[in-house]
Parts: sequence; structure tokens; C-alpha cells
Amino acid sequence: MKPFRAARGGDVVARMEPAEVGIVSLLLDQLEQLLDADADDVGGDPVMARLLPDGHRGDPELAADYRELTEASLRSGKADDLAIVRATLPPTGGEIRLDGDQAAAWLRTSNDLRLALGTRLEISEDTEPPEEITGEEDQQLAVYYWLTALQGSLVDALVAGRSGRS
Amino acid sequence: MAGPLAPSWTPETTVEERDDLDRPWVTVVWNDPVNLMTYVTFVLQELFGYDEPTATTLMLQVHHEGRAIVSSGPRERMEHDTSRLHAYGLWASYQRDS
Repeated sequence: MKPFRAARGGDVVARMEPAEVGIVSLLLDQLEQLLDADADDVGGDPVMARLLPDGHRGDPELAADYRELTEASLRSGKADDLAIVRATLPPTGGEIRLDGDQAAAWLRTSNDLRLALGTRLEISEDTEPPEEITGEEDQQLAVYYWLTALQGSLVDALVAGRSGRS
Repeated sequence: MAGPLAPSWTPETTVEERDDLDRPWVTVVWNDPVNLMTYVTFVLQELFGYDEPTATTLMLQVHHEGRAIVSSGPRERMEHDTSRLHAYGLWASYQRDS
């Protein structure tokens, strides 16, 4: 991966290897499956609780009101973002060039992927990147930190682009 | 930001409204171990129009104290602010100001 950087015209640009595109595609599929799943199947899933959190803590009635009011649009926003990321991902690797709206979709979707993976892996503030990959969990942790680097570079590129405009 | 290339959006909620007694609801962002500090700062600027120092102060408050009030106003708008934060994956909720 060549991390995101600000380019001329307000775009941000990165490069990905084919294998990296493969990993992102797989994660997008898994996120989509999770979001499309029956509420009965994923109701108690901590990942879903993190992706679609309660709006109010301590008052179930208000939390239910909030969910009724907002969940459908949150879900459709996530689906739209996911479609944009898919459409802008180079199928065989290469350059990724994003305008402002596309970059915002990447920002939110890459964050959802990190939230989902981080919740599964029970990431805490003391978790550190694996020094060597000896098992599946190390691999997933390595992917998590790869996504962290990707998203971090996207934030930095957008901040750099914004200060360039002011 | 100012000048002809400044963003055209208008902040929907600003920090100055915090002391309004008629508006006893607040939106809270909670600390979580996944969201990047730079990301949280960026999102607070994007959604609420905070300048960088204000957004950074709020982000650091979330990080060190576990939570920060990021907007206040009528309940409906706090629901809306909470959902905008949820769209960006921030761990937010709204409540009556205590």
C-alpha cells in the first residue's frame, strides 16, 4: 500500500496491491452480510451493537424511540458508503483516487471495518500490533493495524487538503 | 476558515449554545479503544464546525475523562446529532443535561 495523500484539485490518492484489494473486498462482503443479516441472527452480536449503538443509555424507551427514528437511515447510509468503496476499489490493484464525497464514504466504511474487527478481537488501548504472525488471530490483528494505517493516512490527507484550501 | 474557498456548510450546533437553560439535552461522545484520535477530531470539526483547537480539546477530554459533551440543545436535535455521530462510528448518546 502507498498511503493516502492529498492531490491537486482536492482529491486524495493512494495505491493498493492486488492482495490488499482482495482483503478489503473480503472485509466489505463480510460487513455487508452482517448488515443484511436477520435481526434475530445478529441481535446479540457485540459488533452490531457497536455499529448501530443505542442512542440513549439507561432509558430503554428512549433508546427504542431513537432506533425507530434513525436505524433505517443509518443502515442505508452504511450500504451506500460500502457501494462507493467497492466501486472505487481498483479490481486488480493500483491507484485509488477519491473526491470529497467518496473520501467521506471511505472514511466511514474503513472505520466500520475497524470497529467490527476491533470488537471481534477485543481490542483495548493496550493492544499492540503482532510482532510475528503465528496464528489466525495475529493475521486478523495485522489486518486491523493495516486498516488503521490506511484510515489514519486518509484522515491526514483530508486534513492536509482542508488546510490547503483555507 | 475564511475566504472564497471556505466550506459552504453551516454548523448546525455550536458550543455557544451550551448555557441555554431552555435546552436541557446534550450529546455525549464516549471513549472507545478503536477510533483514532485524529479521526475523532476530524469528525467533530466536520459535523459541528468546531475549529481545530476546540475539536482537539473535546477529543482529549473524551480520551482522558472517558466522555465529553459535544453539543447541546433540544432533544430532537440531540437525537439528530447522535445519529450523525453514529454514521461516522463515534460512540455517542444523548441525555438530559445533569
